[in-house]
Formats: sequence, C-alpha cells, structure tokens
Amino acid sequence: MIANYGFFLLFLCCLCSGYGTLASLVAGRTAHRQLYLSSRMALSLTTVLVTLAAALFLMSLFNRDYSLAYIAKNSSNDLPPWYTLTAFWSSLEGSHFLWTLFISIFSCIAVWSRSKDNEHIMPWVMATLQSVQTWMFYLLITHSDPFKLMLPAPANGRGMNELLQNPYMGIHPPLLFIGYTATAVPFAYGIAALCFGDINEGWLRTVRRWSLFSWAFLTASIALGGRWAYVELGWAGYWAWDPVENSSFLPWLIMTVLVHTLIVQEKLGQLKRLSIILTMIGFFLTFFGTFITRSGVISSVHAFGEGPIGPNYLLFLAGIAGVSSVLYAVRAPSVLPPDSSRAWGVSRESAIAVNLFLTLAFAAIVFIGTVFPIVSEALTGQRISVHAPYFNAFAPWVGLALVLTLGLGILMQFQSAKMPGAGRVIIIAAVVAFPLSAAFAYWGEIMATPDPKSLWAQLIGTWVSFFAGGCVVGDFFLRFRLMNYKTEVLFKRNLAWFGSMIAHIGFLVSILGFLGNYRGLEKNANLKVGEKADLHGYEFKLTRGVSVTKVDNATLYGVDVSVKKDGKTLGTMRPALSRYPTKDQSFNEIAVMGSFWNDLYVVMVDFDTKTGKSATFKLHVNPTVRIVWISIVIMVAGGLISLLDRRRGHQSRDVVAGVWETGKV
Amino acid sequence: MKRYLTILCLLLISFPAARADDKPVLDEIEFRDVANELRCPTCTGLSVLDSEAKFSVQIRNEVRKQMEDGRSKDEVLKFFTERYGAWILRSPPRSGVNALVWWVPIGLLVLGPLAVWIFVWNRKPVVYTGGIRSRDEIVKQMKDEIATMGSSADG
Repeated sequence: MIANYGFFLLFLCCLCSGYGTLASLVAGRTAHRQLYLSSRMALSLTTVLVTLAAALFLMSLFNRDYSLAYIAKNSSNDLPPWYTLTAFWSSLEGSHFLWTLFISIFSCIAVWSRSKDNEHIMPWVMATLQSVQTWMFYLLITHSDPFKLMLPAPANGRGMNELLQNPYMGIHPPLLFIGYTATAVPFAYGIAALCFGDINEGWLRTVRRWSLFSWAFLTASIALGGRWAYVELGWAGYWAWDPVENSSFLPWLIMTVLVHTLIVQEKLGQLKRLSIILTMIGFFLTFFGTFITRSGVISSVHAFGEGPIGPNYLLFLAGIAGVSSVLYAVRAPSVLPPDSSRAWGVSRESAIAVNLFLTLAFAAIVFIGTVFPIVSEALTGQRISVHAPYFNAFAPWVGLALVLTLGLGILMQFQSAKMPGAGRVIIIAAVVAFPLSAAFAYWGEIMATPDPKSLWAQLIGTWVSFFAGGCVVGDFFLRFRLMNYKTEVLFKRNLAWFGSMIAHIGFLVSILGFLGNYRGLEKNANLKVGEKADLHGYEFKLTRGVSVTKVDNATLYGVDVSVKKDGKTLGTMRPALSRYPTKDQSFNEIAVMGSFWNDLYVVMVDFDTKTGKSATFKLHVNPTVRIVWISIVIMVAGGLISLLDRRRGHQSRDVVAGVWETGKV
Repeated sequence: MKRYLTILCLLLISFPAARADDKPVLDEIEFRDVANELRCPTCTGLSVLDSEAKFSVQIRNEVRKQMEDGRSKDEVLKFFTERYGAWILRSPPRSGVNALVWWVPIGLLVLGPLAVWIFVWNRKPVVYTGGIRSRDEIVKQMKDEIATMGSSADG
C-alpha cells in the first residue's frame, strides 16, 4: 500500500519537475514573471513530495516491508538499526533515490538562497536544475523503481551485502552524494551564464560558494571511502586507482581547479570561459562515475549496484555533453573577455595557471587510464588492465611539480612576482626543510624502505613538501604582518584566505602521508597459541585461540594477538573472521592499531577449525596512514572555514534587477 | 641534534653503500617488483602481491620459482603474458594501440605547457568591449568628477 503511495509521489515529482522545466524555459524566453514564479513553486513542491516519498521509503525499511523488492533484496530481519538505515542507499535503486532526493533539496536551497545579483539568470538556472531532476525522476519510476513490488512478500529479506555492513557506509555515500549534487548548482549557473550571455560578480560568488561546498564534501567522502576500503577489504591499502575511486576523484580534481579559476576571475576577470567549461565537465564527470559504477562496463570493488540503468545513464551523459557543447559553441562568444588588457608574466595568477594545467592534465590521465580498457578492447578485441602501476608512473611527477609551484606561487602577488620578504622566506623554508625532513624520515622510518629508487623519491618528495609548507606558512606571516597582526582583520576580512592557507597545509600534509606509506612492510605468519612473529621490531604473539562472539547479526571467530615493541606491551589486537546468517561465506574483520607514525594492520586469513589453537595471519606495518586521515580533516576544515567568509559570500552588491522582479513585461 | 646529524649523514652518503651487500633483501625487492606487475585474475584492481586468492598465490609461487631459477623480470612477465594475454599485466604494454595510453599523457604533459605558453602567456589581448566600461573605470571617473566638483566649489 505504502509502495503505491510512494510510487505515485515520485510520479508526481516527475510531472512537477517536467512542468517546472518548461515553465522556466518559457519564462526565460519571454520574461514572463508569473510563469517564473510558478516554476519556482513547482521546484519547492517537488522537493516536498520527494521528501515525503523518502520518508515513506524509510518507514518501509524500518517496518521491514518485504513486499518492496528493493527491501527484500537488501535488508533482512537480522540487521541492526544502523544498517537498516544504510540499506536505503546500499544498492542501485536506493542510492539513485537518495541522489535524486539530494538534488531536489539542494536545488531548492540554491534557488531560495539566490542572490539578487543573479535574479536575471534564475529562470535558466531553474530550468537546468529541474531538467536534471526530471530525468532522475523518470529513471526512478521506470528503470530504477525503489517502490517496485514483489508479491507475495517473503518472510525474510536476502540481507545486505556483508562488505557494506561497516559503520563508514552510513556516512560515506550520503556525503559523496551531497558532493556530487552540489556540482549541479555550478553546472546550472554555467548553463545559465551561457543562456544569458555573460557573467557578473554575483555569478562568481554563488558558483564559488557551491563549488567550494562540493569540494569540501567530496574531499571528506573520498577519504571516508578510502577508509572503508582500508578497514574492510583487507589488502592494507586505501587507494587502488580503482575505476570507481577514480570516478569520484575526477570531479574532485575539477572542483579544485574551478575554485582556483574563480579566484583568478575574481581578481583579474580572466578565465571566465574556462570556469564555465569546468562547471560543465565537473557535473558531467559525476554522472560519468555513476555510469561506470552502475553499468558494469568496468569492474570495480566499489560497484554494488549494477543494473539495466546503465544505457540510460549513457543517454543522459550524451545529453549533458551535447547540450553543453552546443550551447557553449553558440553562446561563448557573447561571454566578454576581461575589459582590461593585463599580461600574465611571472605572478601569482601564472603560478595558479601552471597548477591548474597540471591538475587538469592529471585529471585527463586518470580519465584515460580509467576508460582505456574499454577503448582498447573495442579497437583490438584484446583485453588489457590498467591498474595502480600505470597511475603511479605519473602521479609522483605531477605531484612534485604541483607542490613546488604551490610553494613558490603562493609567495607571489597577483600581477606581480614582487612580494616584500619573499626571498628570505624561500631561503629560510629551504633550510628549515632539511631538519624537518630528517625528523620525518627518522620517525616515519623512511630509511627502512628497501627499494633505493623509491627511497630517493620519498626523500626528495619529503623535502619539497616541507619546503612548500614553509613557503605557505611564511606567506601567511608576511601577509599577516601587512595586517599589522590584527586578528580581527584576519578573521573578519580575510577568512577565505585564511581557510585556503589551512587547506593548502592540509594538502601538503597529505602528500607527506602518501610519501610515508609509499611502502608498507608485510609478512605472512602461521602461529600457534603462545608463538610469536616479528615484523619491523614489532612482536606479534597469539595469546588466545579462537573464541566466538556475537555482535549484532555477525558471528565473530576472533583471536587475541598481543603486540610488543622493545619489550613494552602496546596492546591486544582482535582480528577475526565473521559469518553472517544470510550467506555461507567468511569475511575478514581486520584489526588495526597504531600510533601516530605506524599503523599495525592484522588480517586473519584462516584458522585451524578443529582445535582453534592456531591461525594464519597477514601482518602489516603501514607507516603514516594516520597522517593521511589527519590531512583530510585539515583540508576539509580549510574548505569549510573559507565558506564561512561572509565578504566572499554572495551577498548582493550591485543589484541587476531581473525583469521578473520589476514585473513590467 | 646528534640524531639529526646521523640521519643527515645517512641521507647524504651512506645509504647506497650500506645497501649494496644486503643481497637477500634485493632479491625480495625484485620479486615484489615483478609480482606487483601481475594482476590477481579473480579480484578487481589488486596485484598478486596483495591478494590471498588461490589463483594469486599460485602465480606468486610460480614467479618466485622462476626468479630463483635466475629468470629476469622481462622473461617472467613474458611467460605470463604468453599464457594469459596482456590482460595479466597491471600496466598496459607499450606497443600497438596500447602505446597510446602512455604517449598521450606524456605528450600532454610536455606539449601542454608549450601550448599554454604560446596561447596564454604570449598572447597580447586585443579587447573590444563594445563600449562597455569596467566598474573600475566608472568608479575612477566618478571620483574624478567629485574631485573636480569639490575644487570648483572651492574656487
């Protein structure tokens, strides 16, 4: 019964947003105020309806209503409440539903919180957002119906994929979808700018806000996805250049570039058209990622919802690409170049441009590597693999150039390389970087890297990162000095810049973290109770054989491994194998323990099922993983601080009254 | 301080020499290097080095055996390529169509900056604004006018 209401609500949403799209388009063409207002109401109504539908769906999930096919497939009686909730987005239809819900909510927020400066392009913005919604709702009621019935209802569901029964799955997908969704707003403004014919300052502020918002959420969610892989999949890594990882990384790269082109645009009026192109590419790539995950064209560890929806996404992708490029080709000439003829020269904007180029080139490489297996198979019929070694062949070089340019470029000023005191900062940073890298190499135990080639790479990378970090900090003090060390000036007037400094530091810390875990140490060990294994100065001792515990729906067969270093007991780790009632298969429950510098990571591969007194382990010592997690927190904090800057927010300055507001048509 | 100095010394001089006589460690590096180039046939995205799947363990043992017999990296990789096709390699071969996947990015990274140099930096912008003035100009003009108004009032 509820299913029918839910489906009907979604059907209404589809109609409503379809109407909204048409109404906005006509309003935009004819400057019809009433139609414009009615389209806005349609958008709000859609949001209310889809929220209701989501509430119904959630209710069915918690009532364990197995007459809904989706719930019967992805939930079961044994699931604890947290996973009953995450079942919402644990598979194809539900995650598509969640995404659609977010798109509606954020479109609504974007339209209601619009700036007066953008009043004149709002019909185009709304038309774009609602056309995207229409398509999403169309898929929801045809190919990806979460309310599809399965009668008669089974007594119990099939249960959730065991790999997804992990706390991070409660937070990683929603954050990722928020990040993805937020790229739709810059996209809508990009399209609107082309439709209208130019960009003003209000456009820039709004797009900056939403792309930064998207960037912060993408950063957090990508890291949480990596964290999930780290604690769930058991190969001791968090990033494998897997197609799905790449496809979330691509929009992140584009948003990073967009945030920076907007700065150049704000300061100099340059790169307007590039910004517009980037809003389109960013949005395109979010759907491209979904297409990859959903269609099964490329296999991935992160793909949990394959289905017949694939070709439809392809159609949609073609639509986005087609509309965007035609519109751009026709309308881009009307976007005026900056009204001043300034040369680029050696200056901050040039440094930004260099790094933008590198980031975009890197995005292109990631894209090529991700899709090349399909291309190659189509051309030669031969299957090939493009895995981590390919990406790792390019990443260090691009990273090195990025970090160096960041360090030097941040010490320049717009329009000029001359920054008083910059020379001294560079020298000091270069000198101070030596003891810092030495300390890092000592505590991060970089010298333990067995391969001399990667050892050199790590040492050079570490020095460069510290050097760039020194430049960023030095730049902060130089500019803070110009503010006469007044914190009020810093926090009230330059908060966005302060946030950017923190985000840059976070980025450099992450590079240090990546360099540290460029290598890990590992060892296989078969231990009987009381036996020990040594790895890199750590002593792992199996102190207790297999004991069985029940945690929620899982049965854990865990052992106790006590860890000592230099005769000091560090603690007890409990790796386990787990079994779930819905599947005849064992899963790894990995034990991770660690200090700031080293993560100890123990996987129990197998155990003696007769006696329970011996087990086979894979032991890992992973350096500086925790530094990577910390760096992500710093980066996200930086992004959020920048968002809080009210002066760079989108408060209205020079009001361009839209015809819709004056109402004289 | 002494600690740092030791590390600095290590950094600057001693480490290649210190490694040279560590023969068994080097073999392990070579083995890992080769095993990292081969994909686990039954999983996604992992090398045989990282995977505990049966198939991967078999391949890993085969690699170790062949390397103990004195075969070089290229020979071992060739052996597996002949058996399973280029698919088993984690980075695509640098021949035929697959060379594209290597040369396009390299070309991009090398020629890209050149293109930026020619089209962005060296371009002398010629601007036709259609008579639209920038805000700065308008503000400046207003300020000038206010200034002249003030001076004329004084006069």
